[in-house]
Amino acid sequence: MLEIRIRREASGHSILGDIQASVAPGDRICLLGPSGTGKTTLLNAIAGLDHSMAEESILGRDRLRVGYLFQEHRLLPWRTLNANLKLAGASEREAERLLSQVGLSGYGHYLPDQLSLGMTRRAALARCLAVKPDLLLLDEPFASLDPVIVGELKARISAILSDRPGMAMICVTHDGNDAAALANRLWYLEGRPARLRWDGAVHSQASTSALMSRLRGVAKAV
Amino acid sequence: MRRRSERPPVWSYWVVLPTLLLLWAVIAQGLNSSLLPSPMTVLETLMQESASGELWRHLGATLARVLVAFVLAMGLGTVIGLVMGRSLRANALFDPLLVLLLNLPALVTIILMYVWFGLVEVAAVMAVVINKVPNVAVTIREGARSLDHRLEEMATVYRFSRWQRLTEVWAPQLFPYLMAATRGGLALIWKIVLVVELLGRSNGVGFQLHLAFQVFDVAAILAYSLAFVAVVQLIELALLQPLERRASRWRQREVAHA
Repeated sequence: MLEIRIRREASGHSILGDIQASVAPGDRICLLGPSGTGKTTLLNAIAGLDHSMAEESILGRDRLRVGYLFQEHRLLPWRTLNANLKLAGASEREAERLLSQVGLSGYGHYLPDQLSLGMTRRAALARCLAVKPDLLLLDEPFASLDPVIVGELKARISAILSDRPGMAMICVTHDGNDAAALANRLWYLEGRPARLRWDGAVHSQASTSALMSRLRGVAKAV
Repeated sequence: MRRRSERPPVWSYWVVLPTLLLLWAVIAQGLNSSLLPSPMTVLETLMQESASGELWRHLGATLARVLVAFVLAMGLGTVIGLVMGRSLRANALFDPLLVLLLNLPALVTIILMYVWFGLVEVAAVMAVVINKVPNVAVTIREGARSLDHRLEEMATVYRFSRWQRLTEVWAPQLFPYLMAATRGGLALIWKIVLVVELLGRSNGVGFQLHLAFQVFDVAAILAYSLAFVAVVQLIELALLQPLERRASRWRQREVAHA
């Protein structure tokens, strides 16, 4: 459903190198790699936000509905959660349902700045779902949250994914455990300019850890 | 992000202003000259002008000019400022013009407008607008440059319409700049309007000041000035402050989580 083709600028300082990949419905991809490699840049390119690439084509994107969970919540601070969800296309009833799905029932009339980091992130996740996404992009969804909240959020995302078997997901993270918990496929982005060093299936946590350390080893050797 | 109240406490007005009034009364008493009439004389003049309807007619004429010039200047200035803030090319094109206009004395614009277009209403209002537009544009340009690009990206991903982007994303961020431009705008515009009236109109507070100046009628000068200051303060208290409170309500809410 999505065909990613990025070509590096011949004489530039582009972050991303030549990248080719495709995403199919139901793909749950974890995008891993050292920090500063360009994981967010790749996610932005896929979402159509980054046009600094010399040649970039994301075939099929225009037909897709995309929900993007940014690192910051990026809810409109002057609008309530309900209003934020409605702006993304939800009806009043859908907004309430989605908020309860992320554990925020009754918070629809609050403003984002009245809530904690974990709550705003869940509200932003609800907004992703408000567009009825074909593709869900998550940028470090578990960053700066305490472990209990991370576990809870992971469970919610798992539930959301199993509710929507046709939806594809690309989740940026630096933790192999996240990959094992949520993903069925793994991308490893690395180098400068960054390329996809690995694009393959994920089976278990053990195999993912093994793969991760192997990939890191490769990185060091290169 | 809660802002500290910048206004001094209310009691300071009730101390400073009466003291000033008392000082004025004492000095006027001591001098006993028509060049500094006592507060009572000024008040009497004010009552007379008010009773005859002259005060209201001239105040009305001035306020109408202020209103028209203000709306035009804010509208034009906002559009130009937004375009300049969002486009480097537009900024390169308009910036030299802006520098030129900002440094052009108001008096020059007024004289030129009157010379070129005659002593007509349109020339008077145009002169005021030309004086004010650059200030509004500069303020709004700052606002447009400081728009949060992260919210822009969000609006792109979530396919906000042009209208939604303008009203939901831009307007709340631009609001403080619009308020600053409004405040500064009113203060500047009513001063320029008086000069415009003094130089080439046959009604308005500026025209009355001109007449009073010719016969050294200081009581009339003070009466008209005070009446106008009162009107401007009334606009500030009755219109601008409630508007500002209303639009910045989202900043003041209590935090819900512990």
